[in-house]
Amino acid sequence: MLRVSGGGRDRVNPWTYVLLVVLLIPFLFPLGWMFLSSLKTQVQNTAYPPVWVFAPTLGNYREVFQKNPFFTFTVNSMVVALGSTGLALLLGLPGAYAIARYRRTGIALAILTARMAPGIGYLIPWFILFTKAKMIDTYTALILTHLIVALPLVLWVMIGFFEDVPGELIESARIDGCSNWSAFLRIGIPLAKPGIVATGILAFIFSWNNFLFSLIIAGFKTRTLPIAVYSFLSYEEINWGGLTAAATVITLPVLLLALLVQKHIVRGLTLGALKG
Amino acid sequence: MRHFGTGWSRFVERHPVPVFTLPSVVAVTLLMAFPVAYTLYMSVHSWYASSLTSPNFVGLGNFHRAFVEDDRFRNALWLTVYFTVLATALQLVLGVSLALVLNRPFRGKGLVRSIFLLPMVATPVAIALVWMMMYNPTLGVMNYLVGLVGLGPYRWVSNAAIVVPALAVVDTWEWTPLITLITLAGLATLPIEPYESALIDGASATQMFWRITLPLLRPTIIVALLFRAIDCLKTFDIIYVMTQGGPGFASETLNVYTFQVGLFYFHIGYASSLLVILFALVLGVSLLLIKVRRAEW
Amino acid sequence: MRVSLKMWVLSIMLSLALASPALAQKFDWQQAKGTQLRVLLNKHPWQGAIEPHLKEFEALTGIKLVAEVYPEDQFRAKVLVELTSGASSIDVFMSMPAQEGLKYVRAGWLQPVDEFLKNPALTAPDYNWNDFLEKTRDAMVIEGKIIGPPIQVENTSLMYRKDVFQKYNVKVPTTLDELEAAAKALNGKAMTDDGQPGYGIVARGKRAAATSQFAAYLHAMGSTWLAPNREPIFNNEDGIKALDLYGRLLRLYGPPGSENNHWYEASSIFSQGKAAMYTDANSLFPVIEDAQKSKVVGKVGYALFPRGPKGQYGSTVAAWGLAMPKTSQNQKAAWLFMQWATAKEQVMAVQSEKGVLGARESVWKDPKGMAKVPADLRESLTVGSKMGTPLWNPPVVAVAECRDAIGNAIVVSIQGGDVRAADNKAAMDVKRIMLETEKK
Repeated sequence: MLRVSGGGRDRVNPWTYVLLVVLLIPFLFPLGWMFLSSLKTQVQNTAYPPVWVFAPTLGNYREVFQKNPFFTFTVNSMVVALGSTGLALLLGLPGAYAIARYRRTGIALAILTARMAPGIGYLIPWFILFTKAKMIDTYTALILTHLIVALPLVLWVMIGFFEDVPGELIESARIDGCSNWSAFLRIGIPLAKPGIVATGILAFIFSWNNFLFSLIIAGFKTRTLPIAVYSFLSYEEINWGGLTAAATVITLPVLLLALLVQKHIVRGLTLGALKG
Repeated sequence: MRHFGTGWSRFVERHPVPVFTLPSVVAVTLLMAFPVAYTLYMSVHSWYASSLTSPNFVGLGNFHRAFVEDDRFRNALWLTVYFTVLATALQLVLGVSLALVLNRPFRGKGLVRSIFLLPMVATPVAIALVWMMMYNPTLGVMNYLVGLVGLGPYRWVSNAAIVVPALAVVDTWEWTPLITLITLAGLATLPIEPYESALIDGASATQMFWRITLPLLRPTIIVALLFRAIDCLKTFDIIYVMTQGGPGFASETLNVYTFQVGLFYFHIGYASSLLVILFALVLGVSLLLIKVRRAEW
Repeated sequence: MRVSLKMWVLSIMLSLALASPALAQKFDWQQAKGTQLRVLLNKHPWQGAIEPHLKEFEALTGIKLVAEVYPEDQFRAKVLVELTSGASSIDVFMSMPAQEGLKYVRAGWLQPVDEFLKNPALTAPDYNWNDFLEKTRDAMVIEGKIIGPPIQVENTSLMYRKDVFQKYNVKVPTTLDELEAAAKALNGKAMTDDGQPGYGIVARGKRAAATSQFAAYLHAMGSTWLAPNREPIFNNEDGIKALDLYGRLLRLYGPPGSENNHWYEASSIFSQGKAAMYTDANSLFPVIEDAQKSKVVGKVGYALFPRGPKGQYGSTVAAWGLAMPKTSQNQKAAWLFMQWATAKEQVMAVQSEKGVLGARESVWKDPKGMAKVPADLRESLTVGSKMGTPLWNPPVVAVAECRDAIGNAIVVSIQGGDVRAADNKAAMDVKRIMLETEKK
């Protein structure tokens, strides 16, 4: 029987699993290497050929947390990511709904251009603006700058999800006397919930990973994790143990998020493409 | 919801699109307005950041300088195209192939998808640093691994000849999963009928792939390509962290060059014109791809 | 009457004698009490050494300090962006005048401190500006104005493995020719802890970063950046020889991937025992003598940078200092901080505790100040700072851009390309850059 997409009920070829492992190893290797290296001492890290079996140490993690206010960085990253995601959802959901429902793809494309503009172009003007408004080194400034990435993302992905909401449901609600806004809140949002989760997570991840904007707009108090890991690359000689420990700490939340909610994330990413 | 009285509700009823989209449009406009205006203004002026001199109008002078006089710009433009084409081609081929391979029954699809997500969501800066470690010519594990099959050792990102491919490998590692996942999703939505009729007509698997699967997948793949192309043209994090555009200028793409000119040399005027050029490039490529997608298939 | 004249003179002298300590005590460290200062520091040995003492300043003056520390690249970018916006709240920042001083002064961003220095109400009488090494004082003067006090001095010097040189019976080089011979002789010889072979020499190769160390080779060969008429001359015959030598040394006797090495990587290779020689700033010696991270503690000699074929000194003199933006709202307080941080007591503290090479002559002469500094380093630093050139960067406005242009030529040389062509191109680029950025 011909199957275009892989179902789960056919007899599984055991070689498939072998193939899977082979294919997945390259994608896992760097991350695994990062984690392993974070458990090695400096001597072990600079040994060549590389050491594969060794006694792990938590010294690097201790050093990372003691020498750097990693807790502050994490809090900063968290605040900014949650803030920009929340704001993007708040502003973007109604927009995506309307664009999907009334097929105003023009606006969608216009907002896509925001995604095309190089991030660097924003830096100096924003810096000047924020400095004059005395907003440098504030969460507000960072959240606003991350919005320029999050909002187009929310719009782009949610348009696809809202298009999936059956038009008939909304029509019948309207016939029953529901206002546009009500229809949006009572029908659109609940039905598109998986999409909202997906988009929220994606926006969170991209904000968490953002480097460029935080580099210039964040000040001393609001430094985020990517900046922290970048600052490992200086002065003291290449401290690979510390570096990978910091890198592990930074990527761990998003990696865990990906593992836990992969279904939503994949839907969000792929839907954006399928409907594009 | 009658929060604002009948006047407002009626307005919302009659004009849902403007009202619903207003918040997003306003937000984006506000955030972008000043930077866009500033950049356009500066791109036709010459200003070497200073509190004592003001920008002076040079018309298209900056653009002339870029295209005609500045060979570091031409180098950056070429490298941007080179990197983008190389990386997206690699990702496309690998990604689609992987999707086809994975498009078969097995248990644990969720787990596999999770693992595939990891490279994409890992913080690029952190990943760049780890890859830098792995690429280290004397101590890095990459040379060890290729040594096991008798190749190398290479100088990777210290070698001007292979630095761009080496960086493209990192980008490919990070983003091939995206292409794979998108393709898998696309494969899942393919209709059965064409395949059934093809089978009846006696088509082989390869024929079915080239004549049915690929054309049907085309719109999906092109959208994935579009996203990746836009991102590759603008790639910054990994290049900046791993090589800062070096060795020499061998990996200095337009984005990295603009960063240097704007934030290290402080030629604000010239940097602004470079930004306009970069944006035009991204826009051009996007429009091209959108057109290709809309074309007959 | 005579007796009363003598008594008159005596009493005047007595009262003057009594008054002087009172005068000295009259300097009011608390005159800016209650202000808050925003100080931007580069992640640097000096910053690491002064940070534990900052609360002493706060106690002495009643001024609250908010110190922000960033790694170098970020630090520079941040300072630049803030100063450009014209609305910066920075009060004091670490600065290397030879790097950015001219640009900042011409852009009108710096507040000169000559007036503060001359004002006895603002400057403690025992501050003693002339105690700073002459070349460092010079380095802090841009277009006739003093932009701040120096905090540290360093030269490009030759750091070498005494044990390796002894083991293989090679003479420590004092000239560039001997340098190359030594690198060749020691390259590939066993020199690490576990008997692994190492490289003859290691040095920076990373584009702009390499320029400042290449300066030593350039000047030792007898060339320099600009002619008196401000035309680039670093591509004259001597200059090309220097460029060729630098690239050749790293290509043939240095580690692979040198063209991506900043001092972090180069110093790491050296302190792991993998190179016999290292030419870089001698201010890196705390890194090399760090018992926790370095494997070559106690085995390193610090020599004067080798002299050229015609006997020229290549040693460059670089100074870090503190500067004050014109936009600072707390200039008095800022100046108090700047002088406190560079007062003899503090310089003695950072030097004797962490081995940071301060710029005060009196501290150099004091055995306590020299306790942490190896004897040969002290000697080479003294000679180097006297004979050396402050031109470790081309004296232009657009330093960063010129450093990149010259750095690119260095990379080409390391990679074995056409040195003459690269040098000429760099000179052309520098000339063009100067034309664009220095019209007054």
